[in-house]
Amino acid sequence: MARYLLKRLGFILVSLFFIVTITFFLMQAAPGGPFASERKLPPVIEQQMNEQYGLNDPLYQQYFDYLVNIVQWDFGPSFKYVGQSVNDIISRSFPYSLILGAEAIFLALSIGILLGVIAALKHNKFGDYFAMVIAVLGISVPSFILASVLQYVFAVKLEMLPVARFESFAHTILPAIALATTPLAFIARLMRSSMLDVLNSDYIKTAKAKGLNERIVTYRHAIRNAILPVVSYLGPLVVAILTGSFVIEKIFAIPGLGNEFVVSVTNRDYTVIMGTTVFFSVLLLVSILIVDLIYGLVDPRIKVAGKGDK
Amino acid sequence: MNWKKWSLLLALVFAMSIFLAACGGDDSSSNEGGDDTDTAEEGSSGEEGDSGETALADDQTFNVNIKTEPPSLHPGKASDTTSSAVLDQIFEGLTRINQDGEPENAMASDIQTSEDLTTYTFTIRDGATWSNGDPVTAQDFEYAWKWVLNPDSPDTDYAYQLYPIKNAAEAKAGDVPLDEVGITAKDDKTLVVELAQPTPYFLQLTAFHTYYPVNKNVVDGKTEWATDVSENYVTNGPFTMESWAHKDQIVLKKNADYWDAENVKLETINMYMVEDENTELQMYKNGELDWAGSPTGSIPLAAIPSLKEDGSLNISPKAGIYYYSFNTEVEPFNNVNIRKAFAYAINRQGIVDSITKGEQQPAMALVPPSIFEENKEGYFEDNNVEKAKELLEKGMEELGIDKLPVVKVTYNTDEGHAAIAQAIQDMWRENLGVEVELNNEEWNVFLDTMGEGNYQVGRMGWIADFNDAINFLEIFQSVGGNNYTNWENEEYSALLEKSRTETDPDARREILREAEALFMEELPLAPIYFYTNLWLNKDYVKGIEVSPMGSFNLKWGYIAEH
Amino acid sequence: MDKILKVNDLSVSFDTYGGEVKAVRGVTFDLDEKETLAIVGESGSGKSVTAQSIMRLIPMPPGKFASGSIEFNGENVIEKSEKQMEGIRGKEISMIFQDPMTSLNPTMTVGKQIAEGLIKHQNMSKKEAHHRGVELLKLVGIPNPEARIKQYPHEFSGGMRQRAMIAIALACNPKVLIADEPTTALDVTIQAQILDLMRDLQDQTGTSIILITHDLGVVANAAHRVAVMYGGKIVETGNVDEIFYNPKHPYTWGLLGSMPKLDSDSDEELQAIPGSPPDLADPPKGCPFAARCPYAMKVCEDHMPEYTELSKTQKTACWLLDERSPKVEPPESALVGGSKVNE
Repeated sequence: MARYLLKRLGFILVSLFFIVTITFFLMQAAPGGPFASERKLPPVIEQQMNEQYGLNDPLYQQYFDYLVNIVQWDFGPSFKYVGQSVNDIISRSFPYSLILGAEAIFLALSIGILLGVIAALKHNKFGDYFAMVIAVLGISVPSFILASVLQYVFAVKLEMLPVARFESFAHTILPAIALATTPLAFIARLMRSSMLDVLNSDYIKTAKAKGLNERIVTYRHAIRNAILPVVSYLGPLVVAILTGSFVIEKIFAIPGLGNEFVVSVTNRDYTVIMGTTVFFSVLLLVSILIVDLIYGLVDPRIKVAGKGDK
Repeated sequence: MNWKKWSLLLALVFAMSIFLAACGGDDSSSNEGGDDTDTAEEGSSGEEGDSGETALADDQTFNVNIKTEPPSLHPGKASDTTSSAVLDQIFEGLTRINQDGEPENAMASDIQTSEDLTTYTFTIRDGATWSNGDPVTAQDFEYAWKWVLNPDSPDTDYAYQLYPIKNAAEAKAGDVPLDEVGITAKDDKTLVVELAQPTPYFLQLTAFHTYYPVNKNVVDGKTEWATDVSENYVTNGPFTMESWAHKDQIVLKKNADYWDAENVKLETINMYMVEDENTELQMYKNGELDWAGSPTGSIPLAAIPSLKEDGSLNISPKAGIYYYSFNTEVEPFNNVNIRKAFAYAINRQGIVDSITKGEQQPAMALVPPSIFEENKEGYFEDNNVEKAKELLEKGMEELGIDKLPVVKVTYNTDEGHAAIAQAIQDMWRENLGVEVELNNEEWNVFLDTMGEGNYQVGRMGWIADFNDAINFLEIFQSVGGNNYTNWENEEYSALLEKSRTETDPDARREILREAEALFMEELPLAPIYFYTNLWLNKDYVKGIEVSPMGSFNLKWGYIAEH
Repeated sequence: MDKILKVNDLSVSFDTYGGEVKAVRGVTFDLDEKETLAIVGESGSGKSVTAQSIMRLIPMPPGKFASGSIEFNGENVIEKSEKQMEGIRGKEISMIFQDPMTSLNPTMTVGKQIAEGLIKHQNMSKKEAHHRGVELLKLVGIPNPEARIKQYPHEFSGGMRQRAMIAIALACNPKVLIADEPTTALDVTIQAQILDLMRDLQDQTGTSIILITHDLGVVANAAHRVAVMYGGKIVETGNVDEIFYNPKHPYTWGLLGSMPKLDSDSDEELQAIPGSPPDLADPPKGCPFAARCPYAMKVCEDHMPEYTELSKTQKTACWLLDERSPKVEPPESALVGGSKVNE
């Protein structure tokens, strides 16, 4: 296991290296520097700013300096927001995204699995159709439309929840729902078809033939197997939540990392773009590693780390 | 078994109805409940005379959206409207623009001008203190302004605001030492400023945030004092900044030590940073915001018609112009008649009625009507297609071409700009028979493109820094800077220079009008419309005006009992 | 010895989009203590449905009992509630299935799967169940049972898995074990082992076995009595000697004839039975085999033949046995062991 983990970590580092390099050069290639504004800067001042941020150094120099800093986990200062370092920005905004993301993942998994199981158990009856209509809507309706509808219905009309921002737990409910809906729908469909598959399999018949009651057969035998495809979806789930956060955080005015990322691209804030990209990449790569490990734990047929054979 | 199909259909219908309800929602919500609506009086915020008449609410908290994180809350570095919106409430300059749009004494209790109008002597008022108790001194002003003009000071985009001062531009370029700049603190209370030439709008400039003082004792030697709230962030305005949660919100509190504190009614100002304009509107409707739209937020285009209909939308003119710049170095816009043809063939009223819908003023001039009233009519007729065709022929003859090349229109990515570009594309195709390509670029890329002259027709805008015509006319005094047209003209330049030394305001006005007339004859750009301020405010919000410059003073604001 | 299981005129149908499929049409048989009854037939003959009906494992809907009764220990299984059935399944009647690969839950250890039944039916603690599980694994001949019991099914070979299935099935000492094609998915050498195992266990525990199969070789090896099913009906029953050495139904002849025999010439063709089984959504009103029977007469298509009792143990449903029909001898290929024909 230790060797396996080391190997995976090694791959993560290699991936990160490529990501950092590619992003760095892509950004340099994009037109539009960070100091453009509608009022043209007097060249003296523009020169001054470029100097200050080292934008006049030769490219390879900038690149090396940057790599060295990254290894020390120093992402540098923000170009656009003087006095805020990228590390500050990330550590300030990440907790918001984390909480929202965790809530959304929790929602998506719990409700998605529940709906999927209900749909499978009530196959071809009302419960099935109802759950699947919700699923289709969830997948088809883009999150930003859903966000606006949620705001309108629950905040403005029913006045049950605040419209936007992040000040209390109540503030997180609507954005978490908006974020969770599409993955939730996907998980529901996945769980349903997986469950239907499993319910038709022979070992369920064996379980029934042992005299076990409906409940035990469903929960102990069926779900344990049916949930495997959902576990392997966890990786893409994290991705979906992460990218979904860009839109949702903007609409709900949540000062999270997704929002920072989008704004930094518009601002051509090089350091923030690089910092958030690297951070997100690390997050993703580690998540996928964790998912792989979970999968190995849940499904005994999978030998994740090549645990020794008998 | 058909029941299954029916239930499916039912579920779908149910889902659809949610959407229909949401779409039609705006109308119904703004018709019910009296809280949100406000009768639109001549664009003011519905105040009923002085605050003495209306009872004050117990909770004097004002919630407003400033949309984004202010890039800088250092008065000498700030170069955008978000930052200035915050700075205007917590700092104070020698003068302040009042609710009538005129500069009035603020930090300065007395202002003397020399006969030749080039020397101003400001007396700093007694009782002017910093939020840490230090008295505000003339040295604070001298220090702050010279810091901006120091060639080593970074991020000073707006240094040019100080260039009317003698030797300021030269000092910034490093040609002249800073102590030769015409700013002298004769003593703690007296500041003497020498200008390069008479500048009639100088007292408007001194109200501008680049001219705000900083506490020299606290700030000298520190570079990052303005990045967070701390003991180093010392201010002298009607409010102090209590907290700054980055990208989230800024909270201002009334400054009890402010010299005019008895006239400041608001106790707390919550400035939220909500980027999405639809969310802003929802928050306003929900009561989480007391104000939506200009100057610090925006109203979503789609909501404008219904808000106008129910009378809640406030509209006032904004001193700014939306125009299409011609690249006069590139065919066919190197010919003046062709430029005129393109400009005349635009139906501005149509655009304002159908696309922007904010009762903007069609622009057939350069300087907004709030400054030059005559420009309500402008220099030519809107949508004069016949004349346009005439001039087109003439121009093409002069150039010796019988077919127009494909024309590319460049604009920065935005739903409004796209809609306008498409309309104009249509108009030019129909009226002039020209093929138009549309090209949109993201903001920073767009500015680069324009700056490098890589365009034929490009969308541009300019909002006045101060309420004077020269602010618009001087953009085009020479090629470069904010002049993307690559046009310059000796006679025009000379007229502008002449205006700078003319002391009689009427005569000066004449000269500026002459210059504008020349400009409109040469027409290196097609003016489209003059901006308007669009905003919503709850009727219990009083005493807050949106200036034509697109800013507001919360000093005189208050919440009425409701 | 008393009959432990009496199936009487059992009919099971399925409501499908295509109509009502009559899978089992009036089947009657019984089972003694400590005996092995083989139910033989081709795919679609109704043998699995019959077996699963005994344990009420058929999902209803779309299945339903059209008629008949299943008496187990004197009580009609069809009238029992689901809760009562849970008390019978795995405890009084057990079942093992065809494919050991898929019949075990891949995410549970073998030990746990054995223990489940023990904990439920015999109220054992986990520890006791674990011990019993090890004993059972030993009983079914799995080496190193203490280690194996903690393993997962995918760590077992096919034969071992089937043994484990048998262990699970016999855990609570059921009176009846229904084995639905238990050796079909296994290779021949393992087949023999499993069948031997089942026989040994039967000797030890006295469990009756219903053995469902289409393989006559298995029948010969393991069964005491045989019931031949075709088209949802039982066409012939008898003890194993009677069926092999004195078959009277043309279908049985056909089955025997299609078996490769040790003493046949290697260039002799295998005799297949031409044609295909009847459509049970619209079953024939006469003998189900009539369409494929080389000896079919007009009466066969119109009327279902009654049972002719040839001995105390052998019954055949065929018009050929009626005194009015012509005498027909079984074909050469149906003769097993040549001269040992009993008349």
